[in-house]
Amino acid sequence: MRQTMRRRTQIATALSILAAGMTALAGSAIAAPAEKYLHVNVQDPTNDGSVNVNVPLSMAEKILPATNNHDLHEGRVSIHNAEMNGVDARALLDAVRTAPDNEFVTVKDKDSDVRVAKANGNIIVHVIDKKNKEQTVDVTIPLKVVDALFSTTKNDELDVAAALRALSDAGDVLLVTVQGSSEKVRVWVDSRNTQD
Amino acid sequence: MMLVAKIALGMAGVAVAGAGVLCSEGMVTVKVVGKQPGGLHIHVIAPAMLAPIAVQLAPRRALAQTARQIQPNMPAIRAALEGLRDSGDVVLVAVKEPGQHLEVEKSGGSIVVDVDDTSETVHVSAPIRAISSTLDQLAAGSNSL
Repeated sequence: MRQTMRRRTQIATALSILAAGMTALAGSAIAAPAEKYLHVNVQDPTNDGSVNVNVPLSMAEKILPATNNHDLHEGRVSIHNAEMNGVDARALLDAVRTAPDNEFVTVKDKDSDVRVAKANGNIIVHVIDKKNKEQTVDVTIPLKVVDALFSTTKNDELDVAAALRALSDAGDVLLVTVQGSSEKVRVWVDSRNTQD
Repeated sequence: MMLVAKIALGMAGVAVAGAGVLCSEGMVTVKVVGKQPGGLHIHVIAPAMLAPIAVQLAPRRALAQTARQIQPNMPAIRAALEGLRDSGDVVLVAVKEPGQHLEVEKSGGSIVVDVDDTSETVHVSAPIRAISSTLDQLAAGSNSL
Protein backbone atom coordinates (compact mmCIF):
# COMPACT_ATOMS: atom_id res chain seq x y z
CA MET A 1 0.00 0.00 0.00
CA ARG A 2 2.80 2.38 1.05
CA GLN A 3 4.82 1.39 -2.05
CA THR A 4 1.87 2.15 -4.34
CA MET A 5 1.41 5.51 -2.63
CA ARG A 6 5.10 6.35 -3.10
CA ARG A 7 5.00 5.40 -6.80
CA ARG A 8 1.94 7.60 -7.34
CA THR A 9 3.70 10.48 -5.60
CA GLN A 10 6.73 9.98 -7.83
CA ILE A 11 4.57 9.89 -10.98
CA ALA A 12 2.69 13.01 -9.84
CA THR A 13 5.98 14.83 -9.17
CA ALA A 14 7.38 13.84 -12.58
CA LEU A 15 4.17 14.97 -14.31
CA SER A 16 4.20 18.28 -12.41
CA ILE A 17 7.81 18.94 -13.46
CA LEU A 18 6.93 18.04 -17.08
CA ALA A 19 3.88 20.31 -17.01
CA ALA A 20 5.91 23.16 -15.47
CA GLY A 21 8.58 22.74 -18.13
CA MET A 22 6.03 22.72 -20.96
CA THR A 23 4.27 25.76 -19.51
CA ALA A 24 7.59 27.62 -19.29
CA LEU A 25 8.43 26.65 -22.88
CA ALA A 26 5.00 27.69 -24.16
CA GLY A 27 5.26 30.92 -22.18
CA SER A 28 8.60 31.81 -23.69
CA ALA A 29 7.32 30.95 -27.16
CA ILE A 30 4.33 33.24 -26.67
CA ALA A 31 6.39 36.01 -25.09
CA ALA A 32 9.05 36.05 -27.81
CA PRO A 33 7.92 38.45 -30.56
CA ALA A 34 8.15 37.03 -34.07
CA GLU A 35 11.09 38.27 -36.11
CA LYS A 36 9.98 40.83 -38.71
CA TYR A 37 11.47 41.01 -42.19
CA LEU A 38 11.66 43.88 -44.65
CA HIS A 39 11.10 42.46 -48.14
CA VAL A 40 11.91 44.07 -51.46
CA ASN A 41 10.78 42.41 -54.66
CA VAL A 42 11.61 43.73 -58.12
CA GLN A 43 10.14 41.93 -61.11
CA ASP A 44 11.19 42.71 -64.65
CA PRO A 45 8.99 40.62 -66.97
CA THR A 46 10.60 42.06 -70.10
CA ASN A 47 13.84 40.15 -69.51
CA ASP A 48 12.48 37.56 -67.07
CA GLY A 49 14.57 38.96 -64.23
CA SER A 50 13.87 39.39 -60.55
CA VAL A 51 15.57 40.68 -57.41
CA ASN A 52 14.44 39.57 -53.97
CA VAL A 53 15.83 41.05 -50.78
CA ASN A 54 14.81 39.91 -47.29
CA VAL A 55 16.32 41.79 -44.36
CA PRO A 56 15.61 40.89 -40.72
CA LEU A 57 14.48 44.18 -39.15
CA SER A 58 16.41 43.34 -35.97
CA MET A 59 19.58 43.27 -38.07
CA ALA A 60 18.78 46.61 -39.71
CA GLU A 61 18.08 48.05 -36.23
CA LYS A 62 21.58 47.05 -35.16
CA ILE A 63 23.32 48.29 -38.31
CA LEU A 64 21.76 51.77 -38.43
CA PRO A 65 23.14 53.16 -35.14
CA ALA A 66 26.58 51.78 -36.05
CA THR A 67 26.64 53.53 -39.43
CA ASN A 68 28.17 56.99 -39.63
CA ASN A 69 28.25 58.18 -43.18
CA HIS A 70 27.60 61.65 -44.63
CA ASP A 71 24.24 62.73 -43.17
CA LEU A 72 23.53 59.46 -41.35
CA HIS A 73 24.71 59.45 -37.73
CA GLU A 74 23.65 57.06 -34.96
CA GLY A 75 20.50 56.08 -36.82
CA ARG A 76 19.49 59.65 -37.57
CA VAL A 77 19.51 61.46 -40.89
CA SER A 78 20.24 65.18 -40.99
CA ILE A 79 17.96 67.17 -43.28
CA HIS A 80 19.23 70.42 -44.59
CA ASN A 81 16.87 73.38 -44.57
CA ALA A 82 16.90 73.60 -48.34
CA GLU A 83 15.38 70.12 -48.58
CA MET A 84 12.50 71.08 -46.28
CA ASN A 85 11.67 74.19 -48.37
CA GLY A 86 10.70 76.03 -45.21
CA VAL A 87 7.91 73.58 -44.39
CA ASP A 88 7.40 72.84 -40.68
CA ALA A 89 7.07 69.09 -41.03
CA ARG A 90 6.29 68.54 -37.34
CA ALA A 91 3.39 71.01 -37.34
CA LEU A 92 2.12 69.46 -40.56
CA LEU A 93 2.33 65.97 -39.08
CA ASP A 94 0.55 67.09 -35.93
CA ALA A 95 -2.27 68.50 -38.01
CA VAL A 96 -2.57 65.27 -40.00
CA ARG A 97 -2.48 63.15 -36.83
CA THR A 98 -5.34 64.97 -35.19
CA ALA A 99 -7.43 65.22 -38.33
CA PRO A 100 -10.03 62.53 -39.15
CA ASP A 101 -9.50 60.13 -42.05
CA ASN A 102 -9.61 62.24 -45.14
CA GLU A 103 -8.08 63.02 -48.49
CA PHE A 104 -5.71 65.94 -47.93
CA VAL A 105 -4.16 66.57 -51.30
CA THR A 106 -5.47 65.87 -54.77
CA VAL A 107 -3.52 67.14 -57.74
CA LYS A 108 -4.51 66.33 -61.30
CA ASP A 109 -2.68 67.65 -64.31
CA LYS A 110 -1.67 66.39 -67.72
CA ASP A 111 1.55 64.80 -66.43
CA SER A 112 0.46 63.23 -63.17
CA ASP A 113 -2.23 62.55 -60.61
CA VAL A 114 -1.24 62.81 -56.94
CA ARG A 115 -3.38 61.90 -53.96
CA VAL A 116 -2.37 62.09 -50.28
CA ALA A 117 -4.78 60.72 -47.70
CA LYS A 118 -5.05 59.46 -44.15
CA ALA A 119 -6.90 56.20 -43.60
CA ASN A 120 -6.94 53.62 -40.80
CA GLY A 121 -3.88 55.06 -39.06
CA ASN A 122 -1.85 55.16 -42.27
CA ILE A 123 -0.65 57.95 -44.51
CA ILE A 124 -1.32 56.95 -48.10
CA VAL A 125 0.29 58.50 -51.13
CA HIS A 126 -0.88 57.52 -54.61
CA VAL A 127 0.87 58.85 -57.71
CA ILE A 128 0.13 58.18 -61.36
CA ASP A 129 2.91 59.34 -63.63
CA LYS A 130 1.22 59.84 -67.00
CA LYS A 131 4.43 60.86 -68.75
CA ASN A 132 6.10 57.60 -67.79
CA LYS A 133 3.71 55.19 -69.49
CA GLU A 134 1.15 55.30 -66.68
CA GLN A 135 3.56 54.30 -63.95
CA THR A 136 1.78 54.14 -60.59
CA VAL A 137 3.36 54.51 -57.16
CA ASP A 138 1.53 53.66 -53.94
CA VAL A 139 3.08 54.37 -50.57
CA THR A 140 1.47 53.40 -47.26
CA ILE A 141 3.23 54.44 -44.07
CA PRO A 142 1.73 53.77 -40.62
CA LEU A 143 1.38 57.04 -38.69
CA LYS A 144 3.27 55.46 -35.78
CA VAL A 145 6.27 55.08 -38.07
CA VAL A 146 6.03 58.70 -39.21
CA ASP A 147 5.75 59.79 -35.57
CA ALA A 148 8.88 57.81 -34.73
CA LEU A 149 10.66 59.35 -37.70
CA PHE A 150 10.04 62.82 -36.26
CA SER A 151 10.62 61.80 -32.64
CA THR A 152 14.03 63.46 -32.35
CA THR A 153 14.37 66.73 -30.46
CA LYS A 154 16.24 68.34 -33.34
CA ASN A 155 14.15 69.88 -36.09
CA ASP A 156 16.58 69.04 -38.87
CA GLU A 157 16.83 65.31 -38.13
CA LEU A 158 14.85 62.21 -38.92
CA ASP A 159 15.18 59.26 -36.53
CA VAL A 160 15.33 56.36 -38.99
CA ALA A 161 16.30 53.86 -36.27
CA ALA A 162 13.21 54.76 -34.23
CA ALA A 163 11.07 54.47 -37.38
CA LEU A 164 12.50 51.02 -37.99
CA ARG A 165 11.64 49.99 -34.43
CA ALA A 166 8.10 51.32 -34.90
CA LEU A 167 7.86 49.42 -38.19
CA SER A 168 8.94 46.28 -36.37
CA ASP A 169 6.15 46.77 -33.82
CA ALA A 170 3.53 47.50 -36.49
CA GLY A 171 1.68 44.63 -38.10
CA ASP A 172 2.25 43.25 -41.58
CA VAL A 173 2.17 46.17 -43.98
CA LEU A 174 2.64 46.72 -47.71
CA LEU A 175 4.74 49.88 -47.77
CA VAL A 176 5.47 50.61 -51.42
CA THR A 177 4.28 49.34 -54.77
CA VAL A 178 5.54 50.68 -58.06
CA GLN A 179 3.84 49.41 -61.18
CA GLY A 180 5.61 50.44 -64.36
CA SER A 181 5.35 49.22 -67.92
CA SER A 182 8.52 47.14 -67.57
CA GLU A 183 9.08 46.76 -63.85
CA LYS A 184 7.08 45.99 -60.76
CA VAL A 185 8.46 46.83 -57.31
CA ARG A 186 7.02 45.88 -53.93
CA VAL A 187 8.35 46.71 -50.46
CA TRP A 188 6.62 45.21 -47.44
CA VAL A 189 7.11 44.01 -43.87
CA ASP A 190 5.87 40.73 -42.43
CA SER A 191 6.92 37.88 -40.17
CA ARG A 192 7.84 35.45 -42.96
CA ASN A 193 11.47 34.90 -43.87
CA THR A 194 10.61 34.12 -47.50
CA GLN A 195 8.67 35.82 -50.28
CA ASP A 196 6.75 32.65 -51.28
CA MET B 1 53.74 -3.94 -26.55
CA MET B 2 51.29 -2.53 -24.04
CA LEU B 3 53.35 0.69 -23.80
CA VAL B 4 53.32 1.15 -27.59
CA ALA B 5 49.57 0.67 -27.61
CA LYS B 6 49.16 3.30 -24.86
CA ILE B 7 51.39 5.79 -26.74
CA ALA B 8 49.44 5.17 -29.97
CA LEU B 9 46.14 5.65 -28.11
CA GLY B 10 47.45 8.85 -26.57
CA MET B 11 48.58 10.20 -29.94
CA ALA B 12 45.27 9.27 -31.51
CA GLY B 13 43.48 11.06 -28.67
CA VAL B 14 45.61 14.18 -29.16
CA ALA B 15 44.95 14.05 -32.93
CA VAL B 16 41.19 13.73 -32.43
CA ALA B 17 41.16 16.51 -29.82
CA GLY B 18 43.29 18.71 -32.10
CA ALA B 19 40.97 18.08 -35.03
CA GLY B 20 38.01 18.83 -32.77
CA VAL B 21 39.48 22.16 -31.69
CA LEU B 22 40.47 23.01 -35.27
CA CYS B 23 36.94 22.34 -36.54
CA SER B 24 35.17 23.93 -33.56
CA GLU B 25 34.44 27.14 -35.50
CA GLY B 26 33.06 25.15 -38.44
CA MET B 27 34.38 24.76 -41.96
CA VAL B 28 34.83 27.15 -44.87
CA THR B 29 33.75 25.60 -48.16
CA VAL B 30 34.65 26.95 -51.59
CA LYS B 31 33.53 25.13 -54.70
CA VAL B 32 34.02 26.45 -58.21
CA VAL B 33 33.01 24.34 -61.18
CA GLY B 34 33.56 25.61 -64.71
CA LYS B 35 30.97 24.69 -67.31
CA GLN B 36 33.32 24.72 -70.29
CA PRO B 37 35.15 21.54 -71.18
CA GLY B 38 38.42 21.47 -69.23
CA GLY B 39 37.20 24.41 -67.17
CA LEU B 40 38.15 25.35 -63.64
CA HIS B 41 37.35 22.87 -60.88
CA ILE B 42 38.19 23.93 -57.32
CA HIS B 43 36.87 22.33 -54.16
CA VAL B 44 38.33 23.48 -50.84
CA ILE B 45 37.07 22.57 -47.39
CA ALA B 46 39.15 24.12 -44.61
CA PRO B 47 38.67 24.68 -40.89
CA ALA B 48 37.29 28.19 -40.38
CA MET B 49 39.69 28.67 -37.47
CA LEU B 50 42.53 28.87 -39.98
CA ALA B 51 41.06 31.90 -41.80
CA PRO B 52 42.25 34.58 -39.32
CA ILE B 53 45.65 32.88 -39.25
CA ALA B 54 45.79 32.86 -43.05
CA VAL B 55 45.29 36.66 -43.01
CA GLN B 56 48.69 36.95 -41.36
CA LEU B 57 50.26 35.29 -44.40
CA ALA B 58 48.94 37.94 -46.81
CA PRO B 59 51.45 40.48 -48.21
CA ARG B 60 51.88 43.27 -45.67
CA ARG B 61 51.24 46.12 -48.09
CA ALA B 62 48.01 44.58 -49.35
CA LEU B 63 46.96 43.88 -45.77
CA ALA B 64 47.56 47.48 -44.71
CA GLN B 65 45.64 48.83 -47.70
CA THR B 66 42.69 46.51 -47.02
CA ALA B 67 42.76 47.43 -43.34
CA ARG B 68 42.61 51.15 -44.15
CA GLN B 69 39.62 50.58 -46.45
CA ILE B 70 37.74 48.34 -44.07
CA GLN B 71 38.35 50.12 -40.75
CA PRO B 72 35.82 53.00 -41.14
CA ASN B 73 33.07 50.48 -41.88
CA MET B 74 33.94 48.00 -39.15
CA PRO B 75 31.29 49.17 -36.61
CA ALA B 76 28.55 48.67 -39.21
CA ILE B 77 30.03 45.36 -40.38
CA ARG B 78 30.29 44.08 -36.79
CA ALA B 79 26.68 45.13 -36.11
CA ALA B 80 25.51 43.42 -39.31
CA LEU B 81 27.31 40.19 -38.47
CA GLU B 82 26.00 40.28 -34.91
CA GLY B 83 22.47 40.87 -36.21
CA LEU B 84 22.83 38.03 -38.69
CA ARG B 85 24.13 35.69 -36.01
CA ASP B 86 21.05 36.39 -33.87
CA SER B 87 18.51 36.18 -36.70
CA GLY B 88 16.89 33.08 -38.14
CA ASP B 89 17.81 31.43 -41.42
CA VAL B 90 16.89 33.63 -44.38
CA VAL B 91 17.66 34.14 -48.07
CA LEU B 92 19.03 37.67 -47.88
CA VAL B 93 19.38 38.35 -51.59
CA ALA B 94 18.28 36.43 -54.66
CA VAL B 95 18.88 37.77 -58.15
CA LYS B 96 17.59 35.94 -61.21
CA GLU B 97 18.36 36.86 -64.78
CA PRO B 98 18.32 34.72 -67.89
CA GLY B 99 21.32 32.41 -67.53
CA GLN B 100 22.33 33.85 -64.17
CA HIS B 101 21.33 33.18 -60.60
CA LEU B 102 22.83 34.64 -57.43
CA GLU B 103 21.75 33.82 -53.92
CA VAL B 104 23.14 35.00 -50.56
CA GLU B 105 21.70 33.12 -47.64
CA LYS B 106 22.12 32.87 -43.90
CA SER B 107 21.92 29.19 -43.11
CA GLY B 108 22.66 27.84 -39.66
CA GLY B 109 25.59 29.86 -38.40
CA SER B 110 26.99 30.44 -41.87
CA ILE B 111 26.73 32.80 -44.81
CA VAL B 112 26.26 30.86 -48.02
CA VAL B 113 26.78 32.41 -51.46
CA ASP B 114 25.71 30.55 -54.60
CA VAL B 115 26.32 31.87 -58.09
CA ASP B 116 25.26 30.03 -61.21
CA ASP B 117 25.95 31.61 -64.58
CA THR B 118 26.72 30.49 -68.08
CA SER B 119 30.44 29.93 -67.42
CA GLU B 120 30.60 28.45 -63.91
CA THR B 121 28.91 27.66 -60.64
CA VAL B 122 30.36 29.00 -57.41
CA HIS B 123 29.44 27.91 -53.89
CA VAL B 124 31.01 29.58 -50.86
CA SER B 125 30.02 28.86 -47.29
CA ALA B 126 31.69 30.45 -44.26
CA PRO B 127 30.72 30.51 -40.58
CA ILE B 128 29.71 34.00 -39.39
CA ARG B 129 32.03 33.69 -36.37
CA ALA B 130 34.95 33.01 -38.66
CA ILE B 131 34.04 35.93 -40.96
CA SER B 132 33.83 38.17 -37.92
CA SER B 133 37.20 37.17 -36.48
CA THR B 134 38.87 37.33 -39.92
CA LEU B 135 37.55 40.85 -40.53
CA ASP B 136 38.69 41.90 -37.04
CA GLN B 137 42.11 40.52 -37.90
CA LEU B 138 42.08 42.40 -41.22
CA ALA B 139 40.99 45.66 -39.61
CA ALA B 140 43.71 45.31 -36.99
CA GLY B 141 46.21 44.81 -39.79
CA SER B 142 47.15 48.46 -40.14
CA ASN B 143 47.72 48.80 -36.38
CA SER B 144 50.13 45.91 -36.25
CA LEU B 145 52.14 47.02 -39.30
